[in-house]
Amino acid sequence: MPKVKPRVKSVKDLTELCKRLRSSAKNFKSKLTICGGTGCHASRSQDVIDAVKKELKKRKLEKSVRVRVTGCHGFCEQGPLMILEPGNIFYCGLKPGDAGEIIAETILKGEVIERLLYTDPVTSNKVQTEAEIPFYRAQDRQLLAQNRHVDPCSIEDYIAIGGYSALAKTLTEFSPEKVIKEVKISGLRGRGGGGFPTARKWAECRSAPGEEKYVICNADEGDPGAYMDRSILEGNPHLVIEGMMIGAWAIGARQGYIYVRNEYPLAVKHARIAIQQAREYGLLGDDILGGGFSFDMEICRGGGAFVCGESTALMASLEGKVGEPRPKDVHTVTDGLWHKPTTLNNVETWANVPLIISNGAAWFAGKGTKGSKGTKIFALTGRVKNTGLVEVAMGTPLRTIVFDIGGGAINGRAVKAVQTGGPSGGCLPLDRLDLPVDFDALYDAGSMVGSGGIVVMDEKTCMVDVAKYFLAFLQDESCGKCAPCRLGIDRMLEIVTDITEGRGRPEQIDLLKELADTVASASLCGLGKTSPNPVLSTLRYFPEEYEAHVNEKRCPAGVCRELIEYEIDAEKCNGCGACRRACPHGAIKGKKKEAHVIDSHKCQKCGICLSECKFDSIIVT
Amino acid sequence: MGKYVTLKIDGAGIRAPKGSSVLDVAIEYGICIPHLCHVSNLSDIGACRLCIVENIVNGRSKITTSCTLGVQEGMVILSNTERIKKLRRNIAELLVAQAPNSRAIQDVAVRCGVKEVRYPFRNSDCVLCGRCVRVCEEMWQARAIGFVGRGKDRHVDFPFGVRPDFCKKCGSCIDLCPMTITPCDGPMKPGKEYLCGKCESQLSMASGAMEDTCVWCELGKGFRCARYGHQ
Repeated sequence: MPKVKPRVKSVKDLTELCKRLRSSAKNFKSKLTICGGTGCHASRSQDVIDAVKKELKKRKLEKSVRVRVTGCHGFCEQGPLMILEPGNIFYCGLKPGDAGEIIAETILKGEVIERLLYTDPVTSNKVQTEAEIPFYRAQDRQLLAQNRHVDPCSIEDYIAIGGYSALAKTLTEFSPEKVIKEVKISGLRGRGGGGFPTARKWAECRSAPGEEKYVICNADEGDPGAYMDRSILEGNPHLVIEGMMIGAWAIGARQGYIYVRNEYPLAVKHARIAIQQAREYGLLGDDILGGGFSFDMEICRGGGAFVCGESTALMASLEGKVGEPRPKDVHTVTDGLWHKPTTLNNVETWANVPLIISNGAAWFAGKGTKGSKGTKIFALTGRVKNTGLVEVAMGTPLRTIVFDIGGGAINGRAVKAVQTGGPSGGCLPLDRLDLPVDFDALYDAGSMVGSGGIVVMDEKTCMVDVAKYFLAFLQDESCGKCAPCRLGIDRMLEIVTDITEGRGRPEQIDLLKELADTVASASLCGLGKTSPNPVLSTLRYFPEEYEAHVNEKRCPAGVCRELIEYEIDAEKCNGCGACRRACPHGAIKGKKKEAHVIDSHKCQKCGICLSECKFDSIIVT
Repeated sequence: MGKYVTLKIDGAGIRAPKGSSVLDVAIEYGICIPHLCHVSNLSDIGACRLCIVENIVNGRSKITTSCTLGVQEGMVILSNTERIKKLRRNIAELLVAQAPNSRAIQDVAVRCGVKEVRYPFRNSDCVLCGRCVRVCEEMWQARAIGFVGRGKDRHVDFPFGVRPDFCKKCGSCIDLCPMTITPCDGPMKPGKEYLCGKCESQLSMASGAMEDTCVWCELGKGFRCARYGHQ
């Protein structure tokens, strides 16, 4: 007989279920939490999970030790990660072979395995718990902290930590107007990039005429290097669902959609399971918790077009049309999906809603700056030591994120710039890193918070090349509907390519500025309007690099192939021959134990010799 | 009552029927806002962005296309400010650099004040204004052609590149295409493109004598300028 899931018919049912789940959790002596998020999955956490389960079965410990595979813990750099309870022992960089030792030593004897602990890079001390690690210490983890306690495929886990209680509170104590008022007091602003006040969007959608309304969750995250929405949806899908239900109650919607990229298979799977479970428990469907509120939702998979993150394009795609934006002279809150009033919010925005309702608007508004409240998750990537997901209170200086949490640049190099906000954001130089992460402050500095990607660049990064990379990305992802975006980005890329390949002329820099202004002002949608940001911000903060490329035909960072030459420093070269053997083009000549020479005609500037030489004798000029 | 709204375009008080677009109203009243993708009686998609105007909302100027902007009571529209002129010139420059072999686009470029083209010419044969696609879909309900691809690869084509049976060969797409009228001196050869600026109407505007006024150019007739569409 399949076990029939209890249907939660009222708020009382929910509280009782929560109590029952909590007490049954005490049956386990110890708990093993292993990160199964995409970052750790890539460092083979599945093998570790299988090995641990096999080992437990062998020792017949399955009943007393609970293995919980969770979503992302954030410190992806050190993965796979494991947390053992009791004791909150934090192990990192695990291998499948470690499973036996962990169970024999830590679980059975309660002894800590030094080798698997995290080493503080500054003091070289071994650190036992998560809280002591510098990466976690400077963070303020509200959304991500839950990931650790929740198996994304188990609604019971979510209910046990108090899940759906915010929904219960909303349905029993709050009128829709009060929900909107509460969100307004909290000062929550859209986390997807625009930073539009969420409460205003909801209020406009609520007052829009029409019976049928929709809520949509935008999980079409496409910025290179950003994966915070992915991690929330993979790690804690019920939080997003609960947030959407509260939002739907506030605006008067009965149907919701999660628009998620098909390239996020785990997020699609977990969200699907979560919706199924919520339906089984009666948390989705008719008369939810006996409060007379009916709501259901569906998943829609996106085809991987970056432009479908734009609200109108997303809705077109959801309707089954070509994912192209349309003019937004009438806002989507009155004329959205199927021409009905629609509220579209980002994953992280929805995820914040239950926290605001349970902890109160004042709690949320207590964090952050004047214009930006609460916490924000950033995906810290690039040439930085500790890559991973970082959640900080708004207003935290970028410097704290890059240096205190991120640990600075890798290989002891100097940080040169930080790119925030993905392809539509801008590059900020080192002396601007004291800027707080705040929607308005970053916007004024020519960048943006965006969806929350932070890419750290070191001194070996050419800023013109960075601009070229982002333009190429945007040219690829532009839908091509409107002329300024399609032709303008193409021409900007043409000019920047000319500059990096040594054909740049001084007047082209002015043309680039003028063109950037045109594209920013006249484009149809957000993608086009923000597309010149990488060019404008690099032109603003690193004009000398453009000038060096154009006037001196020189790439100061030694990146642009057409402008650099590889040479061997005869004094440092000891003739080991490593570079000669490695060169795929046969461009390096020289006798053993004598200084080698690079034939510049044959050299393809691939840089392999540079990485092979152990004596720093290859110079890039 | 209630069927009309009053708004101001470039300072002129205008009474316009509800539901019409700012561009239609402006043309009706003889305020010539350059446009390319707009065709009367077809839907507007705001693709060419030439008809941009400044819409003043609460003292703040918002740049948007007038073809997609519906008239509203008390609206203040500026269609010819220095900023708009500059943006329009740059967009027209991009278009004419892409497709110099169209008299229509050459004309629009000169009308928008393009004096030189600072980009290498590309001699493409389509600017993706989408007139053909919309007339096929909306006027004839045929959908025999559509946009294919994204970004740089976007182009107009038959479904799967084969002319379908439901294409009635009506020729409307060709009629409306701005690329079918070649420049006065004939098609320009690749590598030998230039900004034409030869027509009388163009010259009169380029010299500034009749700047910003629609001259009811003959070209507009053949090209089905929205102005003639109303006749």
